[in-house]
Amino acid sequence: MKRIAFALLALAFVAASLSAQAPVVPELKGKTVEITIWTHEDVNRTAIEKRYIDEFTKANPGVKVNYVTYPSGKIKDIVTAGFAAGNGPDIFNLEIFDAYPFLAEGFVAPVDLKASGYKSYKDIEAKYVSGMLAPVVEGGKVYGLPLELTNWALFINRKMFRAAGLDPEKDWPKTWEEVRSVSEKIAKRDGQILLRRGFDFRYPYYLTSVVPMVEQLGGELVSKDGKKVAVGDAAWLKVFEYFRDFGPNGRNLGSPTYTAARKAFDLDKDEIAMSLSGLYQIPRLKAANPAFYDSKEWMVVPFPQWKDAKKVVPNNYYGHYYMVSSQEPKLQQQASWALVSYMLSHGEEYLEQVGIVQPTKALMESAAFKAMPYSDVFAKDLAKAHIVYYGASSTKIDALLKEAFESVMLSGVEPAKALEKLRKSMAEALADE
Amino acid sequence: MKRASGMEGKRARWGWVFVAPGLLFFSLFSWYPIVNAFVTSFTNRKLISLKAPKFVGLQNYVRVLSSEDFWNSARATAVFAVGAFVPLLLLSLLFAALIVSLRGWKRPAQMALYSPAVLSSVVAALIWLVVFDPRGLANQGLNALFGTPGVDRRWLADATMAQVSTIVVYVWKYVGYFTILFVTGMGKIPDAVNEAALIDGAGPFRRFFSITLPLIRPTTVLVSVMILIQCMKTFSTQYLFVQSGAPTGPIEVMTLAIYNTAMRDLAIGRASAMSMLLFAVMLLLSWLQLRASRGGEDAL
Repeated sequence: MKRIAFALLALAFVAASLSAQAPVVPELKGKTVEITIWTHEDVNRTAIEKRYIDEFTKANPGVKVNYVTYPSGKIKDIVTAGFAAGNGPDIFNLEIFDAYPFLAEGFVAPVDLKASGYKSYKDIEAKYVSGMLAPVVEGGKVYGLPLELTNWALFINRKMFRAAGLDPEKDWPKTWEEVRSVSEKIAKRDGQILLRRGFDFRYPYYLTSVVPMVEQLGGELVSKDGKKVAVGDAAWLKVFEYFRDFGPNGRNLGSPTYTAARKAFDLDKDEIAMSLSGLYQIPRLKAANPAFYDSKEWMVVPFPQWKDAKKVVPNNYYGHYYMVSSQEPKLQQQASWALVSYMLSHGEEYLEQVGIVQPTKALMESAAFKAMPYSDVFAKDLAKAHIVYYGASSTKIDALLKEAFESVMLSGVEPAKALEKLRKSMAEALADE
Repeated sequence: MKRASGMEGKRARWGWVFVAPGLLFFSLFSWYPIVNAFVTSFTNRKLISLKAPKFVGLQNYVRVLSSEDFWNSARATAVFAVGAFVPLLLLSLLFAALIVSLRGWKRPAQMALYSPAVLSSVVAALIWLVVFDPRGLANQGLNALFGTPGVDRRWLADATMAQVSTIVVYVWKYVGYFTILFVTGMGKIPDAVNEAALIDGAGPFRRFFSITLPLIRPTTVLVSVMILIQCMKTFSTQYLFVQSGAPTGPIEVMTLAIYNTAMRDLAIGRASAMSMLLFAVMLLLSWLQLRASRGGEDAL
């Protein structure tokens, strides 16, 4: 029934998109404006956004749009180099912890209310689920509109569980201790070489996915008053030790040097039974391996917690916000915000075609969201989660976490020493802000 | 000062005309960035900032030189430079001697050795990432060779092995290039010298050590300076290996640390100070090497 409803909704979106009418922006009449968009690669999203751009430029013939995509691992450096050279794009999106430094340094223009079709900034905030715009609100103005807000949950391959003598419905891991023990049962090795992994982390997303593990145990990345860093030795050390135990120097269950877990998961080639990813992974899985998608041999369960967790902390959610450069003339900014607003007005199609969630109240309550497989799992975790750490030094802090965890996991550095170095480097990074 | 006249003056003027494009190119793409980096190294300039940078004197240099991370990157660079320099110099010399001694197949042998140098460093690193995968060719090959099934040498997942892996990739990529330089140097040795030694009964080893090696001394100096400078500028392999999960610390060479300071930490002032220090070290080492080789020549 759920799938029939989903198919009917999909048909409705297609019908609606065929009759879509982009707004005519009065300010752009008779003017020639060229806009450049830099965004990360996503085949499904590129297809629909190119269509929105076509519709927008037909309604506003003076506007020319250059839509450029870059690999997600490279776009941050490309945007940085672009702005540093005074040649940045008009519109761009990055993960919030990479984008925030641009906002903090004044490179991002506030949303142009008139061009975007809003009456006030409060009007924008009212459209979204509470707190979702917090990273892009400064001095009462909104500096970005969410393309997506994503949290991760645990994808499970039922077949591989059964092959290891486990019942996926009962034995899916609820705790990190179970993640380790279940992985041990599923893992297959040729001597020291891992041929099949039970679970593996998503390296190097330490701010997104590992900091919550610390927080579950009562630790903190930065204290609430911002004065202390890496708070709670016991929590940090326990997570460091977990990584050491998990890695090649311990039980040899996984490592950052193996194929990315979520890619291997989609292929269903008996390589990995569990991986962390967001709702967007479902359309990707469908595209990469339709047979596996249709087989229903996969499921999604909540982000694991520690057995002795002090509080429930699901995977952090992170956001991609479309932002507009403050370094371009006013008319270009207006055209850019008008285009961004038009693109983002198709929240349900983004969800259906790309699997990304714009956190509007309407979308979260919509039948389209509820019809997405396992959206309830993501929604329940999201309700209890908080946004990933962001600040002027968040990119550096993410790199420092990678260095610290991988030094323990791969280079044999003692957890206490790694924690001490992490704390010192983080304090320096925050002092530089 | 006596002014050049007539034919000599005309030649000199044409000389300047021909050299000018090169000088312009060099000034624009080498001297200007060096001077710019030097000036920037005394400021607190951030890579993305709308604020004007402030002069901070030697603050960046003091901070860099007192940073544990900087000295780790100096160590990583030294390990890499020494680790790659020795095999690159010896292997390229050996391959050149072998190629010169071949009667046929000289060209195909040179092409085969040179071909990795044509690949971009990124492509080379990507190829080696597949080879160094735990289930890849490197483990399979060595395990078959030594009869050690199932041993994972952790090419990228171990601090020491990650350093070895970057050296292996670099030597593989550039050995052909330096071999060609040695082949050219050896080709300049007059045949008569070798023929005379042959008539005098000198064997191949004697001829190599007593004739070839002393006579290619200028080439050896050139090649060793080039290897050293190139090793200190290594970047792509380390960058891609770190992106693919290798631990950062052991292979964070100076260039990678500079890149991270500029692009990740956005501290272009500090990154410029690091660049100037690297430049000074490279200049000093090259000068020492040239001086040592001249000293050797005088002793001959």
